[in-house]
Amino acid sequence: MANSIMASSKPLIFLSSNQPSRVQIPKLAKLPQIPKSISSSELRTKALSLSSATVKSLALIAAFAPPSMAEAMEKAQLFDFNLTLPIIVVEFLFLMFALDKLYYSPLGNFMDQRDSAIKEKLASVKDTSTEVKALDEQAAAVMRAARAEIAAALNKMKKETQVEVEEKLAEGRKKVEAELQEALLSLEKQKEETIKALDSQIAALSEDIVKKVLPS
Amino acid sequence: MNVLSCSINTLIKEGLYEISGVEVGQHFYWQIGGFQVHAQVLITSWVVIAILLGSAALVVRNPQTIPTDGQNFFEFVLEFIRDVSQTQIGEEYGPWVPFIGTLFLFIFVSNWSGALLPWKIIQLPQGELAAPTNDINTTVALALLTSVAYFYAGLSKKGLGYFSKYIQPTPILLPINILEDFTKPLSLSFRLFGNILADELVVVVLVSLVPLVVPIPVMFLGLFTSGIQALIFATLAAAYIGESMEGHH
Repeated sequence: MANSIMASSKPLIFLSSNQPSRVQIPKLAKLPQIPKSISSSELRTKALSLSSATVKSLALIAAFAPPSMAEAMEKAQLFDFNLTLPIIVVEFLFLMFALDKLYYSPLGNFMDQRDSAIKEKLASVKDTSTEVKALDEQAAAVMRAARAEIAAALNKMKKETQVEVEEKLAEGRKKVEAELQEALLSLEKQKEETIKALDSQIAALSEDIVKKVLPS
Repeated sequence: MNVLSCSINTLIKEGLYEISGVEVGQHFYWQIGGFQVHAQVLITSWVVIAILLGSAALVVRNPQTIPTDGQNFFEFVLEFIRDVSQTQIGEEYGPWVPFIGTLFLFIFVSNWSGALLPWKIIQLPQGELAAPTNDINTTVALALLTSVAYFYAGLSKKGLGYFSKYIQPTPILLPINILEDFTKPLSLSFRLFGNILADELVVVVLVSLVPLVVPIPVMFLGLFTSGIQALIFATLAAAYIGESMEGHH
């Protein structure tokens, strides 16, 4: 395997070596015209004519290699430019246009449309925020009105109950006063009665007292 | 060097070459009108294109407002591509989304197809099926397209005034500015080519040495690198386009 690697770099060596036998190498390296059944000894003699040490060792390796390999190596070239290059260019351009028609443009447009649609929806959602604010205010107003109503009703009820309570209080007070008056009156009467009863008993009592005090 | 060649020789004798079968720089040639093409690259690129177009057609056929699984994924990818383009190009990124996106998707699916699809099932007379991006023709084609794209972007935006950027900030930098136009596609193409090829080589060599367990982390690393390379290529292409479109300061 190393054989083929090294052999494939022949053209490179040709580029970098300053040997006088330069002219021979292209024959060896670019060889559509060299017969395929080149023998290893022929190869050796040709390669040895290059005095560069690297090339010599290369040729040695090539000489040891089986003939089938040597044949294959003759063709082995890393930097072999030919019609493949323009064909690849054409293929690439074709691929570019085909992918543009199949992939980039349709999917790109689709994605852009979706993006703009989403942005529109987002914007419209932002617009409804004013609506939401209005609804909010409305709700707050309703709440305020309800609260005021409730407060008014409460006040009214408070007043009503107060009046009622006062009425009942006054009634109760009157009742109590009347009972008090009555009680006072009856007390007075009893007092007078007792005083009267006392008056009538005073004479007898005084007689008793005199009798007890004055010895008879 | 002798030791190396001896050991390699024994390796070959033991038939490891046949087992691992790394076929770097070997191509399956087709003749088209006297020109040669690398058939394995074309075949795999057709598969990649078929995967991309087929999945896109299947998923985006009937987009839903609330995306389903597949559509969700494709929308995510498109958003990602748009994000990359917008970051690098700026506000006028719209027309460049197909170019940047196709660069990213093509390279990404190519790289991963090289690692994930069982290409080995299909035997070719010579060479082997692998990621299309491990052929220099593919990467150079993409890099040249990027160059054309950023020239087109600059010229269509500013007209011939675009060329005034070569003498900015001072005319002394003219050679360097011109050189940049060559280094940009060169670095783009070789970065991608080298990374993908090296990745596949490392995996194959490791598999040939230790067929079990050990190559798995390297394979995952390869998947990661492949994705990163696709992203780098697309991002750099977008950056170059954006650079040639931006105004003078």
